[in-house]
Amino acid sequence: MNGILNDQTLIYEQIAQLIEDGILNGEYGEDGQVPSTNELAHVFGINPATAAKGINRLVEEGLLYKKRGIGMFVADGAEKALRKKRREAFVSEEIKKILREAKKLGLTKEELLTLLAKQADEEGMQ
Amino acid sequence: MNTIDTKNAVLCAAGVSKSYGKQEVLKKLDLNIQPGCIYGLIGRNGAGKTTLLGILTGQNTKDSGEVRYGGETVWENRNALQHICFSRELTPNTASGQNALRVKDYLRAAEIFYPKWDKAYAEQLLEKFGLPKADRKKAIAKLSKGQMSMVTITIALASGAPVTILDEPVAGLDVVARELFYRLLLDDYTKTNRTFIISTHIIEEAAKVFERVVILDEGRIVKDEPTEELVGRFAYLSGANEALDAAMAAAGVTALETQLLGRHKMVAVELSGAQRAQLAAADGISVEPMNLQNVFVALCGHGDAQR
Repeated sequence: MNGILNDQTLIYEQIAQLIEDGILNGEYGEDGQVPSTNELAHVFGINPATAAKGINRLVEEGLLYKKRGIGMFVADGAEKALRKKRREAFVSEEIKKILREAKKLGLTKEELLTLLAKQADEEGMQ
Repeated sequence: MNTIDTKNAVLCAAGVSKSYGKQEVLKKLDLNIQPGCIYGLIGRNGAGKTTLLGILTGQNTKDSGEVRYGGETVWENRNALQHICFSRELTPNTASGQNALRVKDYLRAAEIFYPKWDKAYAEQLLEKFGLPKADRKKAIAKLSKGQMSMVTITIALASGAPVTILDEPVAGLDVVARELFYRLLLDDYTKTNRTFIISTHIIEEAAKVFERVVILDEGRIVKDEPTEELVGRFAYLSGANEALDAAMAAAGVTALETQLLGRHKMVAVELSGAQRAQLAAADGISVEPMNLQNVFVALCGHGDAQR
């Protein structure tokens, strides 16, 4: 897990996001253990209740499960579920943002698609 | 509202009022402190923070109302008071002249008063803060402002009191020592799960440590809730003047603060999740998050920051 917290996004959201990122990039594999509430609180200097809220969000979404007395673990199928969720969020948030900005700049649909394709080629995207 | 909730709360104030001469400092205030929680108490200078903390801990008199710890009245109740530590800001001067008490006198007094005093822990803390042994023989008046804060913090943490209150603990500390304090506080809290109430003016760096925040404004409690729930309900909106007014009217939100920049308008608002979504979808309106400091200014600034 890496990354530090900013002060413009709710902290529990950032904690949940950090662990989600760790699951997506394979740092925490299925049935792998994620950091405990107290570890997160200590490392980031945040209230343990806030760290717990972030973890609980992932439990509620079925991405983590609890082994009593041991800790929190990544659920089966968590990576796949997460990828689906993040793709949906990518459309509803990031792509919409790009479209808004493109409209503001007076780009046509054609021009935007050309720009996207060109940039994707430059970055070697398949 | 004048009921005492002794079922869940550990420390309760009900209908507390206090005036100094003609000036009404606290106005029929109710507060229920939940156990096992770190509270942040924030308010502007003169909002009544120190007066409130003094009354909660039986150190100040009140004109009316009641304060109870675990169902027992706090005033002149030794049994209740030894469970509540209010580590006040130390000052170089007291009512009777220079503060000639030495650091070790303060530590000794705390040891006598608090049944759960942890002497070894106090030693460790002073060591971590870099207060050398030689300085403990010094009179309080001879300490630097930072060293006074360190003594205050050491007494609060080592008191082991189930309710521990710190008034402006970081006021004299540099940024490194402030970080150290918050870390020590969290480590202590993780181990003991006791209740802390901390007042501070340095809001943003403390926000992530507070589970709940109590905002005191002009003698009244205007907010008392989980920090992130509070912060999550506020936002800055911006957009062209007329478009923003129309979008706000449609969503039914009102401005707490407004700034105009030509035809562009920026406002601070409190809003529900549904209102936020509605405004975020509106054309030409941007919705930006706030932090606790922004929320505090929007609620308690009364427009002073824009004057």
